Amino acid sequence: MIDQSTVLLFITVTVASAVEAVEALTIILASGITRGWRSTFEGAALALACLAVIVVVVGAALIQYVPLYILRVVVGTLLLIFGLQWLTKAILRETGFKALHDECDIYEREVATLSQEKGIRGKRDSLAFVVSFKGVLLEGMEVIMIVISFGLAGGSHNQLETAALGAVVAVGFISAMGAVVARPLAKVPENYMKLGVGNLLTVFGLFWMGEGTGVQWPLGEVFILVLLAIIFLATVVLVSHFKRVHKREMEVQHDVKR
Amino acid sequence: MTSNDKTPSVLRRGIKSFFSFWKDFLVGDSPVLALGVIIILGVAYLLHNSAVLAPVFAIILVLVLMTFAVWQKTRTRRHSQP
Repeated sequence: MIDQSTVLLFITVTVASAVEAVEALTIILASGITRGWRSTFEGAALALACLAVIVVVVGAALIQYVPLYILRVVVGTLLLIFGLQWLTKAILRETGFKALHDECDIYEREVATLSQEKGIRGKRDSLAFVVSFKGVLLEGMEVIMIVISFGLAGGSHNQLETAALGAVVAVGFISAMGAVVARPLAKVPENYMKLGVGNLLTVFGLFWMGEGTGVQWPLGEVFILVLLAIIFLATVVLVSHFKRVHKREMEVQHDVKR
Repeated sequence: MTSNDKTPSVLRRGIKSFFSFWKDFLVGDSPVLALGVIIILGVAYLLHNSAVLAPVFAIILVLVLMTFAVWQKTRTRRHSQP
């Protein structure tokens, strides 16, 4: 039977991977449309192959040779840092203190930069290859961090497979969407996804870091849901408070200008 | 220039970019979050024998860190505005 932490793990990895896949797709589309598809696909394929090797080799080796409590401390700490970074940025975007991530704007800038460089469409294009390779590898590294972290902290190959499956589902879905619309996915509610994933990463990070250091969580794994409720509530309170602060500041600025 | 002269600089650049990648990845533009999480880790370890204090303090510290990080960023943005 599938337990609730496996379901939560699958959802977290899938949504987090989808956010990164949207960003990688923007780079691939900009490169493919301006420089040609052949080298762009080759760069992306090589990056995906590198990422798959990292998951298989690093993930399996770590499970076999590193004690579980050390893995949980390291993975929990990394996830907590990572989760709080996502959460803080998403709260700042939601409240208006930071501009929303605009995939169309990023796409236009990439297209403008790539169009300025000389190249031959149709033949092998080293710029398209490198841009696509770097884009997919860098965005993919964040996915890999999440896949390996979630896969390892559970302490079994099963968890690693579930996490990898979540990432594959997300990348497959976003790629299919990209192929259908052939332009950046501007309608994806990226900030809400980041708020959700930031919550989940923070909760899993705190839970596993605690487990690794010997903290006894009441109710065991069920306490993940309690942590989720606490962090979610805190997020809602922070968003509504800082939204009011931002609104007040805008009104003051408006009055000063008048 | 011989290939031996080039090797250290290529190696140095590789090491530098490796560490700068991880620094960007983990610290980014919020060193306070990385530092705060390390402090929470230390507190959780020190209190791990107490079944009540360890979870309570870990949760409170995460909430404080989250609030402080957001407040600090909003303050920085306000001060950087003309």
